Formats: sequence, C-alpha cells, structure tokens
Amino acid sequence: MNYLRPQLLEQLAGAYALGTLRGPARARFGRLCQHNSAASAAVQRWEDRLIYLLPVVAPVAPSPQVWARIAQRIQSRPVDSKRGTGWWRWMAAGALALSLVVGISIRLLNPPLQTVAALGDDRSHPLWSVARSGDSGSLTIRALQDVRGNAQRAYELWALPRDGKPPVSLGLLPRTGSIERTLSTTQRLALLASSKVAVSLEPPGGSPSGQPTGPILYVADVGRTG
Amino acid sequence: MRAPEPDNAALEILLARCARQDSAAIEELYQQVAPILLALLMGMLRTRDLAEDALQDVFVRVWRQAGQYDAHRGRTMAWLVSIARNRAIDMQRANRNWVTLESVPEPAAPAGREESTLTRNALERCLQLLSGDQRQCLVLAYQQGLSQDHIATTIGCPLGTVKSWVRRALVSLRQCLES
Repeated sequence: MNYLRPQLLEQLAGAYALGTLRGPARARFGRLCQHNSAASAAVQRWEDRLIYLLPVVAPVAPSPQVWARIAQRIQSRPVDSKRGTGWWRWMAAGALALSLVVGISIRLLNPPLQTVAALGDDRSHPLWSVARSGDSGSLTIRALQDVRGNAQRAYELWALPRDGKPPVSLGLLPRTGSIERTLSTTQRLALLASSKVAVSLEPPGGSPSGQPTGPILYVADVGRTG
Repeated sequence: MRAPEPDNAALEILLARCARQDSAAIEELYQQVAPILLALLMGMLRTRDLAEDALQDVFVRVWRQAGQYDAHRGRTMAWLVSIARNRAIDMQRANRNWVTLESVPEPAAPAGREESTLTRNALERCLQLLSGDQRQCLVLAYQQGLSQDHIATTIGCPLGTVKSWVRRALVSLRQCLES
C-alpha cells in the first residue's frame, strides 16, 4: 500500500485542487482520493482555501435544452425496468418526469379486503399510506409524517394503468392527517386496472391539465394478495 | 454585478434530498446554481457549447454523488465548484486556452458568504503575502484552468520558473493560513 508522506500529500493535494496537477499523475491522485481519506481530506482543505480565488462572475443562464438533457440522463437509469419503455416514453413527453420506483410491499389488512401502498423514499419511514375499500370505491390516505417540502406545490396521487394508458388522478395527498375520498367511477376503474400508483409535484390545487405536469417523486406497487 | 450566492443551508437540504433520489431537488438545485457554475465553466472552457456540455456532466454527477457530500464541511458551493472545475480540467485539450494577461480578472470578494470574516480576511492577507508573480500564477491556474505549460507561455516565462512560483505559492498560502 502506498503511504504518502504528509508533505508530499499536501503538495499533491494542493496541486490537484488548484488544477496544476495534470495527466496521468492527476488521474492517479484522483483515484487515490476515492479510497484514501487522508488524501481526500487534504484536497477538501485545499478546495476550501482556494475557492476564495473565484472571480466575481455574472451568472449566465444556460440554454433550455441543457436541463432537458440532464433530466433525460438522470432518468435513463430507472430503478424499475420491469415497467417497460412505453410508460417511460409517455411520461418523458410531458414536463420532466423523473421517476424512481420504490418497491414497497403490499400488506393485506383484516377483511373486508383492503390494500395498502406506502409512499415515500424510505422504506422504514414512509410519508403516506394509502388504503382502499374492498371494491376500491374509496381511498383513505394518511400522512404518516407532516410532509414538509415545497409549500408552493401540491402532491398529487395517480393510478398507473397496467396497459400503459395515461395516468388517472386520484386527487391530492394531504400534508398532514388523513382524508377519505370517494372515488369516481373513472378513478375506481383506473385503480383496479393499476398495479402501481405515483406521486407527482404539481402547482397548488393540482395539475391544471389532468395529467402529471411536474416531476414524479415516488412510485409504489399497489395490489392485493390472495 | 454579482448575483446573491445561494444559502449554504438551503443547498445542503437540496443535496440531502438528491441523495434520497428526490428529483424535484436536483431541479431546484439546478435553478439556483447552474448559472453561476456555467459562468465559471465558460471562464475555463471559453466556448458556450463546451461549457454547457460540462454543466450537464456536472449535474449528472451531482445527482449520482449527492450522498457523498459531507455536510459537516459546511461548504456546498466549494463542493459544487470543485466538481465543475475538475470536469473542465478533464475536458481541456491542448492549445485551447491561450489567454492574454489583460483578460484575467483579479480575485475580488471571496465566494463563500458563509465563511467568517476572520477567515476571509486571513485569506486576503495571505494572498497579499505572495509575490505578484506567485499570485498571478494562482489566479491563472484557478480561474482560467490553465496548465503550468500554458501559464508559462502566456506570461512568457520558463516552465520551471512557473512551477517554482506555483509550488512556493501553495506552501506559503498554507503556512500563512495555518498560523
């Protein structure tokens, strides 16, 4: 194992942070930083010192397509690939849909038949639970934590039909407490035809268009066992 | 005219959300920080096309590595700037960044608003301790991303002299700041 003398480490770290370390030596040192905490800490100290050399710059607005490409590249490694490409393409056609599946398992509550989806990005601390009555005529949605986040936006729940048809809104999610919502026939049928639901970020009051307009934040499996 | 710098605490929250795969957070981060980073990248890469390519790479990397940011650093901008600078350095090709001395801006106010006045003044004081040549080499390297080779050609000095100035500047800076 290579042991770097402290003086040499400081010299290399400073040159790396400044940018004067180049070529193969730069590549080697960069790799070293990935597994050597002394090296990466030294580079960080230098970065924190040298940032004061930053010039005063007038910000430059990026061209619009830059964000679109970033969104595509981030999206191109979806966690859930089982869903197939049809739905992905459809969502990408709208405003930036970045969707990650959180594989939340279904729990069957006591009869009458109820299914539960737990929504959020942390398995052990979901943000919402969604339960439906046996015939999917109504939903009970409970905020399990007070949902902070963007006060200028609303969180909307969507049923994602298995056949790839467009999502159907199941209404807004509460930020606190629980709500019970009777579903329309359209909503009920859509939910019955879906094995997943999704949460999107929308303007206050929900999507103005009837389809998700903001990013998809969470996707969860919904279904029934037995 | 300088835009107000994004609040460090707000950026940390956004990075933490990115680490949890919150896609709204990377978009918010982009809105707040991308114009500043693009300006820096254009300073190092010269052409807008290249700078915007680099900007893409930077944000994809930020998204994938947000979980690696150590919040105890208290310097989200420093982390973001280092990702951007490293990308620009990797993208540079030989003979691309010739720059005349007149176009090099002097470092003005420090970038880190969250830094204490004491430390800011310390760095300014330590920079003043450097010789003009040493300071100029640091500025060309850091702001323009010039290699020592290019610095030497730009200011018309031997490469060995530039290397010596840079090495001494870094040593002097560290000794001064640690005292």
